[in-house]
Amino acid sequence: MYTRKNQRDLTRTEKRRLIDAILKLKRSGRYDDFVVMHREYYVMDTERRPRPAHMTSSFFPWHRQYLLEFEKALQRVDAGVSVPYWDWTQDNRPTSSLWAEDFLGGNGRPGDRRVTTGPFAYAAGNWSVGRGVTDEHYLTRNFGRPGSDPVSLPTKNDLARALKDPVYDTAPWNSVCTEGFRNRVEGWGIRGVRTVGLHNRVHQWVGGPMAGAASPEDPVFWLHHSFIDLLWDRWRKAHPKSAYRPGRKPAQPGPDRDYVFGLDDAMPPWRVTPRKLLDHSKIYRYA
Amino acid sequence: MSPTPAKPGGTRIPSRRTVLRGAFTAAVVTGTAGALFPLLDRDPAATARPAPAPGPGSGSRATAEEFAEMYRGREIRGTATVVPAGAPADDRVAVAAEPVTEIRIDGRPLHVMRRADGTYLSDVRHYESYPTLLETARAAVDELGSARLAPPAAHHM
Repeated sequence: MYTRKNQRDLTRTEKRRLIDAILKLKRSGRYDDFVVMHREYYVMDTERRPRPAHMTSSFFPWHRQYLLEFEKALQRVDAGVSVPYWDWTQDNRPTSSLWAEDFLGGNGRPGDRRVTTGPFAYAAGNWSVGRGVTDEHYLTRNFGRPGSDPVSLPTKNDLARALKDPVYDTAPWNSVCTEGFRNRVEGWGIRGVRTVGLHNRVHQWVGGPMAGAASPEDPVFWLHHSFIDLLWDRWRKAHPKSAYRPGRKPAQPGPDRDYVFGLDDAMPPWRVTPRKLLDHSKIYRYA
Repeated sequence: MSPTPAKPGGTRIPSRRTVLRGAFTAAVVTGTAGALFPLLDRDPAATARPAPAPGPGSGSRATAEEFAEMYRGREIRGTATVVPAGAPADDRVAVAAEPVTEIRIDGRPLHVMRRADGTYLSDVRHYESYPTLLETARAAVDELGSARLAPPAAHHM
């Protein structure tokens, strides 16, 4: 049993150990395997194949296991580290200690948006990106996407609204569900209903790789998803009678149900079911 | 904000110009999708129109969106060709009307995907979708900043 802390509460030593473990994982090549894996399982809801990670009910359990695998990999480097969470409703400024020199480094510079501070600055020699999306090898960020179509971080009210929904997910279990906690948090924009929200919005706010198909290339990905994972806990606590949906596969699953993962459907690549991931209290807890 | 309504062409930058159709046709011929369709003779100022949202197949008519323009100094081109349904009756409607899409930014292919509501997203802007390929391409340019897309080989992971 270990604890995942709010990143703002980490000591200097805890930050340094986490960064060191991430850099070691990067050097070994294992980090990039995680980047590739996320890309591989990000299946669209128009594709005729199973979609375990996004635009789907198992958005929460798939990412829970994904984070656990990443954390396990980190802990093989340093058994004392865990993935902290970034509460972006609270630490919503570019001046937050999250983005300081001794932690994740800051925003990209004007012009090429290159991150030039902190351990992931290209010039420091320990971090390169470019797993297939862009030609650049330096990490970029573009906080708030200034310009014609800016993005702000979600607020406490945005979050409260999503947590209020007592239903976990609804048919057709995809990116256009207007109801249900899952898609409210995943945050797909739905024309005439709502704009991009929560999870998706944070990816956009950071910009650079975080906004694209290789989002885990920016280590803030893990802190963002640690908070998303915590939100699932908060929702379950708020709605103890609400279950993960969809449940058992009907005898004749309709087209909506074919490619999504119900409570007892094993998710690739680990063959773990959402049911197995509901309770993580024996593995980790949030502080 | 997503999805944003289609903006009339030319509102974002005054210096935008429509690329000559001859060059555009050549790009389609050399493109990877290979989905050729007769280029419609239409006003060059009308740069894009959305492909229809997934729905019952409308027979054999290949409906398309096409554009070629300069946007923030980048040359963007795109085509969407709706493949005629022609699928078994029990086939999933949303998939039967799936268009073949191609976007290129400065000649390099941008990987484009489609959501169940018919909007598009790309590898570069992956958490927000747009009703037209043109908006998808422009959004990708905005997100890229000064970066270039990876060359085609690196696209296949």
